Amino acid sequence: MCVGLSARVVKVNQGMALVDAGGARREISAQLLDELEPGDYVMVHAGIAIAKITDEDKDETDQIMEDLL
Amino acid sequence: MNDKTSRRQLSPYATTNQTVTLAHGAGGKQTSDLIDQIFKAHFSNPDLTADDAAVLPAPPGRIAMTTDGFIVSPAFFPGGNIGKLSVCGTVNDLACMGAKPLYLSCAFVIEEGYPMEQLAQIAASMAATASEAGIRIVSGDTKVAGKGQADGVFITTTGVGLLTEGVRTSGAFAKPGDSVIVTGDIGRHGCTILLAREDFGIEADVTSDCAPLWGVVRSVLDETTDVHVIRDATRGGVGTVLYEIAAQSQVGIRLNAKAIPVADQVYGVCGMLGLEPLYLACEGRLVIVAPKEQTPAILNALRQNDNSKDAVQIGEITEDHPGYVTMTTEIGAQTILPGPGGELLPRIC
Amino acid sequence: MDKNRQSALEIVSSYDGPKLRIMETCGTHTHEIFRLGIRRILPANLELISGPGCPVCVTPVSFIDEAVLLALEYGATICTFGDLLRVPGTSLSLAGARAQGARIRIVYAPMDAVSYAKQHPEESAVFLSVGFETTTPATCLAVRLAAADGVSNFSVLTANKAMPGAYRALKHSADLFLYPGHVHAITGTALCEEMTREGVSGVIAGFTSDEILTALAVAIVRHREGAPFFVNCYPRVVRPQGNPKAIALMNEMMDPCDSEWRGLGVIPDSGMRLKASCAAFDARKKFDLPPVRGHANPACRCGDVLRGACRPHDCPLFGKTCTPEHPVGACMVSNEGACSAWYRYAL
Repeated sequence: MCVGLSARVVKVNQGMALVDAGGARREISAQLLDELEPGDYVMVHAGIAIAKITDEDKDETDQIMEDLL
Repeated sequence: MNDKTSRRQLSPYATTNQTVTLAHGAGGKQTSDLIDQIFKAHFSNPDLTADDAAVLPAPPGRIAMTTDGFIVSPAFFPGGNIGKLSVCGTVNDLACMGAKPLYLSCAFVIEEGYPMEQLAQIAASMAATASEAGIRIVSGDTKVAGKGQADGVFITTTGVGLLTEGVRTSGAFAKPGDSVIVTGDIGRHGCTILLAREDFGIEADVTSDCAPLWGVVRSVLDETTDVHVIRDATRGGVGTVLYEIAAQSQVGIRLNAKAIPVADQVYGVCGMLGLEPLYLACEGRLVIVAPKEQTPAILNALRQNDNSKDAVQIGEITEDHPGYVTMTTEIGAQTILPGPGGELLPRIC
Repeated sequence: MDKNRQSALEIVSSYDGPKLRIMETCGTHTHEIFRLGIRRILPANLELISGPGCPVCVTPVSFIDEAVLLALEYGATICTFGDLLRVPGTSLSLAGARAQGARIRIVYAPMDAVSYAKQHPEESAVFLSVGFETTTPATCLAVRLAAADGVSNFSVLTANKAMPGAYRALKHSADLFLYPGHVHAITGTALCEEMTREGVSGVIAGFTSDEILTALAVAIVRHREGAPFFVNCYPRVVRPQGNPKAIALMNEMMDPCDSEWRGLGVIPDSGMRLKASCAAFDARKKFDLPPVRGHANPACRCGDVLRGACRPHDCPLFGKTCTPEHPVGACMVSNEGACSAWYRYAL
């Protein structure tokens, strides 16, 4: 239901963040996340950062598969 | 080519605020002033006519002829403008038939109030692009539409080219076993225009791929004339062209999803807006279908040319699934590329 | 291909247990599953059902009718996600209204609609607020921004949905759920844990090929063990507590309400609408809209498709009067709609 895009935070200013996804940049709302800093990765949906992302996706699925097997 | 430099050197209106008025289209002195100062100043060449029709030597052999209308909003975008586009579009249509571009005519519909300086920039770009493509602008026409009856400037170009002997290309000639090649990364023009309209607040360092491609085609034909299809992937993008070829030739086309070249920025923009790069317009990319055994030589020739240095094979023609474009996806499964769906709409879901 | 992906692929493609029906309740999952060709590697006894995961698909006809009414009769400028443009209303879609002169703007984000309203003070901009818990906070932020900046020519027409009611309404339609990662990024995992206690299993999945395959593999292996289970296979995005600020914001500005889901009917407490304190930004109140009753094509089986009760090609309209070019039901409109995906991927 929700196209999400992981993007890197470039700049944070007054509740707004400039994010970069592969060179595509846009201002989004950072008001729903605490302590966002440049260099953090976030999941973006409809112009807001909905979650701070910790790991690379591949590391995570590798870990889950290794736990499963 | 550097549009900016040529504009500064060539535009007599660079420092004025003059605009096009209805009088410029009325056929009197102001019309001839407009023609002299904008069009003749830029298009000047021995074949350009001041009479009712250009009179030209008939080339030996067969000719190709094509026409195309151009409306683009905005008229100026990173990597080009409507003038450059209007020459590239027609030159590329000729090139796709294996025809060397010779002569071009152009008709302008200009909205009343259009800035004269921008018109001069458009003409300068057309001249520079025509010269790069080796085509001569031989005839033109100007009409002025009342305010609101046109959007800025519309251009229609018609081109004539000389067919290369021994070459026959058509969307109906693809054969099972053939390779499918694209001449560079896809979707740049569509992405550039989307961003230039500033509707979505997204910025990216993307420039239009808009380029005249006769040089690219000639480098292939110098290598081999055994080429089945050449198409420029304009409106509707590479995906639409592939579906047209599949339908015309009654063959299937199997793409390797991983091989399709997309610039990171275009991919990022598509990610944000939920768009498929295969359906974004290109204005400087060809889809070439040729026998498998010619593929290495064709790719080698393409990669020597600046406008096709990232050429790559993205798939092959198959007997199965006639009329469809299928894909081998990143997990190795087979799926069908959804057919072209009309207006590109950004989506959240 | 790397080892872990290969293992996940093998688990999924070689499943040979009893019939297993997995329902994805996220349209983006539906879309990616088709795009990647995952259905084509599934054995016959493993079925993926595309549930009501696309807010466009579950948006009732009456909502489109209200938007068309606002645009054509009340002269409002409609700001909408592109997805909604072609959804059929009773007599017109928004694209149809646009062709009749309605002002329709496609926006990427709700707050862009506020900016538009600011830049066009002579117009009255109405944002069409559809979406699940992932999208609703963006609407709330837009309303808060408009209130703070005194943008009085901005309002929203809500059709926001909440997933808990839907899970419960659908829990007998499948053996387990592939939960939507981005909804749970907001709401957290408590509901999934609760569903497990009620005997309903599921896994939260991300959206890359590895994430989807891994989540399916986990679901299959755990299902084989027998007991109800829940696994969060997307912890890099989904935390147990979700996004507390987003939840607080929705609670502050929205009230739960009964809501009509296209094809499924009214599900109690499955919608969200603006609180009375935000009435100035509620388009229904602002324009004093009359109650609108939409009429869907009675032959359309979108509801059965969404419940997994039939497949798209079991509908008498599918591929005949209902195609992506001329959609009748909402499931044919969105890229993510089950019918659209089945049609366009020629299954």
